[in-house]
Amino acid sequence: MSSPPINRKLAALAIALGAVAVFAQPQRGPFVRLDTQQLALIVEQEVDHVTPAELAAWIVEGRSDYRLLDLRSAADYAEYHIPSAENVMLPGLEDYPLLPSEKIVIYSQGGIHAAQAWLLMQARGFRASYTLLGGLDGWVDEVLYPALPTDAGPQEIARFEQTAALSKFFGGQPRTATDASATAPAELPKLAAPVASGPVVPAAPRRKKKEGC
Amino acid sequence: MAMSAPFYKYGMFGDEMSLVLAFVIGIGFGFFLERAGFGNARKLAAQFYLYDMSVFKVMFTAIVTALLGVTYLGWIGFLDLSQVYLVPTHLGPQLLGGLVLGIGFVVGGYCPGTSVAALATGRFDALVYAFGIFAGTILYAEVFPRIKGLVNADAMGQVTLPEVLNVPWGMLVFAVVLIAVCGFAAATWIEGRTGTGR
Repeated sequence: MSSPPINRKLAALAIALGAVAVFAQPQRGPFVRLDTQQLALIVEQEVDHVTPAELAAWIVEGRSDYRLLDLRSAADYAEYHIPSAENVMLPGLEDYPLLPSEKIVIYSQGGIHAAQAWLLMQARGFRASYTLLGGLDGWVDEVLYPALPTDAGPQEIARFEQTAALSKFFGGQPRTATDASATAPAELPKLAAPVASGPVVPAAPRRKKKEGC
Repeated sequence: MAMSAPFYKYGMFGDEMSLVLAFVIGIGFGFFLERAGFGNARKLAAQFYLYDMSVFKVMFTAIVTALLGVTYLGWIGFLDLSQVYLVPTHLGPQLLGGLVLGIGFVVGGYCPGTSVAALATGRFDALVYAFGIFAGTILYAEVFPRIKGLVNADAMGQVTLPEVLNVPWGMLVFAVVLIAVCGFAAATWIEGRTGTGR
């Protein structure tokens, strides 16, 4: 008595696998398991964020290996946003076209929404997601309107010269204690100014990969 | 297990490596098309005269294998299905396009993939067919502005059968497997009636 032919066996195997697959849940649902210890370590080691100065350097260099997400409202975004930022609100983050392999920097006004978004991104497997330290407020204070303290030493002054150049690149205004603007509330630069005047336009068109056969 | 596929989208390799892999996979694909006899227009055309149901069987085997593979890999958390590219559905245009492709298939004896495999073995009819593909592609590009409305009609986006039919994924998998197995049995029966079936 010979065993059944190979195609019968394969058909039986397919039916068995198909029957078990009735219970399959192959799509990633909204429920995930999180390694909370690992997340805590990432935050503790302060490798969950980039500083405004780091981000500014990337933009000046014209790097395109990151995505910058602005979580604020469309109106706030239209008024001012960091060059190369894309506007996406928290509820829309789930469906926003991002790849798990991409480096993603998220910012909000102060940083709390961005931190919450960071946790959601980590939960969804976006390992290379970061927040902007201090949010847009941090960007304004450190990059657009850096201030030189009155009792600054020579080292601090040297560093201030660098940030001052960066500030002008982004259309801001460095502040020293003698400036009248030091006490006046900082005004956000006109949106077109930093992009148009800068030597590097960082918002290069993203290469769209054509897919399908 | 952490999600790690599709490999390209999870950054396991870059553009250059993806081209190398495409070459290797393409060689394998062509090899097995030829081994299955699909480099022969007569064998392919025989499908439409129901003498030889190989094309039907191979296609359904591929569908069932890939379907079960994708389902189980997604289930164990290895494959991120949300990152798998789906061709957007345009019902009317794709029905029309399928009909045109089917007519071309039975008249010319090849589908685009098998024509390339047949060309590699030096068949003259495949060379003519390949020339037709290029001419047709250029013609399509030329008339595209005029038929743009038709091409983009019935846009349904990237949809899947479980979404459209509103059934659980697993139920649909099982149904497709059963349909395939019944189709196999029916195909073998038809081959027996039309004579040349093995």
